[in-house]
Amino acid sequence: MAYGIVDLSKNLFGIKSDSSKLRKDEFWALENISFDLKRGGILGIIGVNGSGKTTLLRLLSGIFPPDTGEITIKGKIGALISVGAGFHPHMTGRENVYLNGTILGMSRAEIGSKFDDIVNFAELGDFLNAPVSTYSSGMRVRLGFSIALHIEPDIMIIDEILAVGDMGFKTKCYNAIEKITQKAAVIFISHYMPQIARISTEILVLNYGRSVYQGNNVHEGIEFYTSQFEKSQASVSGSGKARIKKLKLYSDGDMSHALDPFRLQYLDNLYVEIWFVLDPGIRDAIISLAFYDKEMRGGAECYSNNSNFSIINHGDIIRSRVKFEKLPLNPGSYSLTVTISDQDQKEIFLKYHAIRDIQVIGSFIGFSSVQLQAEWSDI
Amino acid sequence: MKKTETRNQKVTIYKPNQRHELGFFETWAVMSKNIVNSRELIWQLFKRDFFASYKKSFLGITWIFVAPIMGIVSWVFLNMTGMLRPGDVGIPYPAYVLVGTSMWGLFMGFFNSAKETLSAGQSLVMQVSYSHEALLFKQTAQHLANFLITFFVNIIILIVFKVIPSWEIIFFPLVILPLFFLGAAIGLIASMISIVAVDISRIINMGMGLLMYVTPIIYSDKVNNVTVQSIIEWNPLTYLVCSARDIIIYGRLYHPMGYLICFILSFILFMISWRLFFVSEDKIIERMV
Repeated sequence: MAYGIVDLSKNLFGIKSDSSKLRKDEFWALENISFDLKRGGILGIIGVNGSGKTTLLRLLSGIFPPDTGEITIKGKIGALISVGAGFHPHMTGRENVYLNGTILGMSRAEIGSKFDDIVNFAELGDFLNAPVSTYSSGMRVRLGFSIALHIEPDIMIIDEILAVGDMGFKTKCYNAIEKITQKAAVIFISHYMPQIARISTEILVLNYGRSVYQGNNVHEGIEFYTSQFEKSQASVSGSGKARIKKLKLYSDGDMSHALDPFRLQYLDNLYVEIWFVLDPGIRDAIISLAFYDKEMRGGAECYSNNSNFSIINHGDIIRSRVKFEKLPLNPGSYSLTVTISDQDQKEIFLKYHAIRDIQVIGSFIGFSSVQLQAEWSDI
Repeated sequence: MKKTETRNQKVTIYKPNQRHELGFFETWAVMSKNIVNSRELIWQLFKRDFFASYKKSFLGITWIFVAPIMGIVSWVFLNMTGMLRPGDVGIPYPAYVLVGTSMWGLFMGFFNSAKETLSAGQSLVMQVSYSHEALLFKQTAQHLANFLITFFVNIIILIVFKVIPSWEIIFFPLVILPLFFLGAAIGLIASMISIVAVDISRIINMGMGLLMYVTPIIYSDKVNNVTVQSIIEWNPLTYLVCSARDIIIYGRLYHPMGYLICFILSFILFMISWRLFFVSEDKIIERMV
């Protein structure tokens, strides 16, 4: 509060405040960030919450000025910090198109000429003349995104807004973004790595306001980010009738199995050793190993019964070894989840979520979690 | 071809303290240009907030008529109790108070409109970059539209009290200009202070409320108490508010010389305050996050 008053009073008497120095308890929200982006480039920005992503977008779109340094932008900026800025819930979709379009800097005539395109892209149908308060969040995003898209900016700035909306529309949006890069540069924030991987040409990883990775090797950037900042949260659930004593991972290639995350090469053999005990009353059990990717989607699973292996409780520590021959997981980061249950999988004795993080090393292949190799031949 | 395209493209540069580098008079030119460029935005936002505010109400726009009528009823009642001794004002007391308080309301409206320049658009301010001066004018336009409706109601009530407004009423829009300048000047400063220091903005609000009682609008300016008399004389609002009232009911300005001085001072204050708003707002906005 005090700084605000000091700044304001200084301005009153025409004294410039030196914004390039920090005062007590102040910190740089962003420091030493520098990049160039040309038409056709798509810069994906990733970072944990509070790393300065939105602040960076606000600086770029001119909402507030930098304290030091300089930003130069050639052409029209279209910023989508949040969807439907200024939407009034009691006004209809039609009225809001004009309102929001004007707020984003379009003239009335311009909106008029693009009106049909905007509405068609948003797929609103009969809802166009209904108040926006009756829209679903997905519909609101569709309308807001559609308006922003039709500004036809030279630089499009998009904060993480495409998290809502159904898959079909998301795909449409990303296609549209790719399409406008013919005429524009795009800067966008997302927490959804596959999308970043798919459309970005450059990547910037922020941490506490600093750039920790920057470049046009997008996959390396995402890998760096997930391995550094997205540690999986281990958690244990289940009835507690099974307890894991020890879990060991190793591969043929590299024996330094103590590393976290555990690393192995793509198509290397992976061995998992599990030492565990079952409660005396339990006769037999099933173990499953699941590899989850960073979006917590099941990438691959392996059930002991599916491999015709039975686990019998003889009262002592049970030791099982699982060998995955030429593990085809796509290079990237995964977490391993171990589940021990009864034969029917009705009762979960133990589910140890994210017991170990695994990193598969290799160059980029594709987007799917499993990258199969097969025998290809001419016929 | 491509080269010319690039040359035609607008280049925007963001640097620290950019606005300080503009000259003192240049800022007003820039701000005025921004306002003109934002006229469509002003209109759209005005439409949104003015019409939408009555959209979900059963009585709708008739609400505007209710307020002045309730006001007059309460003054008539207070007058009947004999509690008030307003002094001789030349016209029926309720009519005198009605016009006076509505002029005070006009001034307070200018102040409040300006005060909400940043907060009214708070969500918008953080999402889109646009000329925030536009919000001052949108707020003021909205206030004027509301005022205009009550104004006509008031005129009708005046006629009911057999007070026929003088023809000089045509100068009314000019006479109220300094009310806007002064109200907006204080309001713009309050608008920024309300973001950096809530306490000070509360003090300003209370002070503005108190000011009404040291302005001769619910009593005549012939007060026996010497202290009160001198406060009234030094209060610029006495001249500005009373002139706006007197042009309607008596067809003259209240102390033309005092009015003129206050007019000029209000204008200067407004220009200073506007400039301060312009150079400070981006620093202020950082604190709205």
